[in-house]
Amino acid sequence: MNAIFTVIFIASAAAMLFVAPNELLPTLIGGAESAAKMALTLFCIYAVWMGLSRVAEKSGLTRKAAKGLKPIAKRLFKTENEAALENLAMNLSCNLLGIGGAATPFAVKAIGELERDRNEFAQKLLFVINATSIQLLPTTVIALRAAAGSGAAADIFLPSLICTCVSTGLGVLLFVLSRKIKKPRKKAAK
Amino acid sequence: MIYVIPAIFLVVFVFAAIKRVKLYSEFSQGVKEAVEFTVSLIPCLAAIFMMCAVFEKSGLSDALTKALAPVFGGLGIPPELTKLVLIKPFSGSGSLTYLNAIIAEHGADSYIARCACVCYGSSETVFYISAVYFAGIKVKRLAVPIAAVLVATFASTVVACLLCRIM
Repeated sequence: MNAIFTVIFIASAAAMLFVAPNELLPTLIGGAESAAKMALTLFCIYAVWMGLSRVAEKSGLTRKAAKGLKPIAKRLFKTENEAALENLAMNLSCNLLGIGGAATPFAVKAIGELERDRNEFAQKLLFVINATSIQLLPTTVIALRAAAGSGAAADIFLPSLICTCVSTGLGVLLFVLSRKIKKPRKKAAK
Repeated sequence: MIYVIPAIFLVVFVFAAIKRVKLYSEFSQGVKEAVEFTVSLIPCLAAIFMMCAVFEKSGLSDALTKALAPVFGGLGIPPELTKLVLIKPFSGSGSLTYLNAIIAEHGADSYIARCACVCYGSSETVFYISAVYFAGIKVKRLAVPIAAVLVATFASTVVACLLCRIM
């Protein structure tokens, strides 16, 4: 992230010198302003879902709901940490249901739990799975198309499903492969 | 589908009430976690949004779009989608604006708009997610996972454009 930030920021600021030098400051402030607005929007989403997930957790419902996905999560993420597994399972099920707002808090909790075991592999794998999107039903775009007067708003369901599987599958594959390639190299260096 | 969300809330609340969970206290405790969580995100959000704003305003993002359009075209991605594909990893709201513009311009049932919708729906705001997930964590070397995600997302975009042609 540091490298990306450095490259993009310096290149953009340099280009600004030629395009509109006096607009750099207002642009930056505008960026911060949209971040503040975004934070407010996000807070509203998280307030609802984290409130609900706390209630679900305290009533023991999370534990019950996570039971089905736990064995899969255990093998996938290579962890025995019960609290992490519960959050991982909840994150996966929220993603599949298409409630991304609810999925994020679970992911962050799971990453916090995994940090205790220093399980970097599972943390990164969770990121890859979430960042490649594993939504089964693209609710937002279907609603958008319906609003724009589409004749068959949901006909993108199948292509979307295939694409989301392709991206997640390929992402996980690339990530796992990259670790396999890296390991022998490190040993050789030693 | 419209019943899923209300059903989730009802099931959780009724179940919790039966289990004698103090609903109000626990719910507001959850909201408190949300406050702390959101506040912890603000530094990363602000930095990334500032970067995106300058990137856009400086014209670099447009220049990159123009430069990459022929390459994308060779892979079967229509030039109208270049901007959307490039912006999506950085900004959800920004790419949503483009998606809306594409739908308005080409019509919801056009090939371009369907392509755009599939691309939008099957990808995520990668950089934002990486900032949120790893905000409080010391994990380093995120370049490899981020690269894996970006390559996978791009490949699925190519597949999306292909699929929309035949489906």
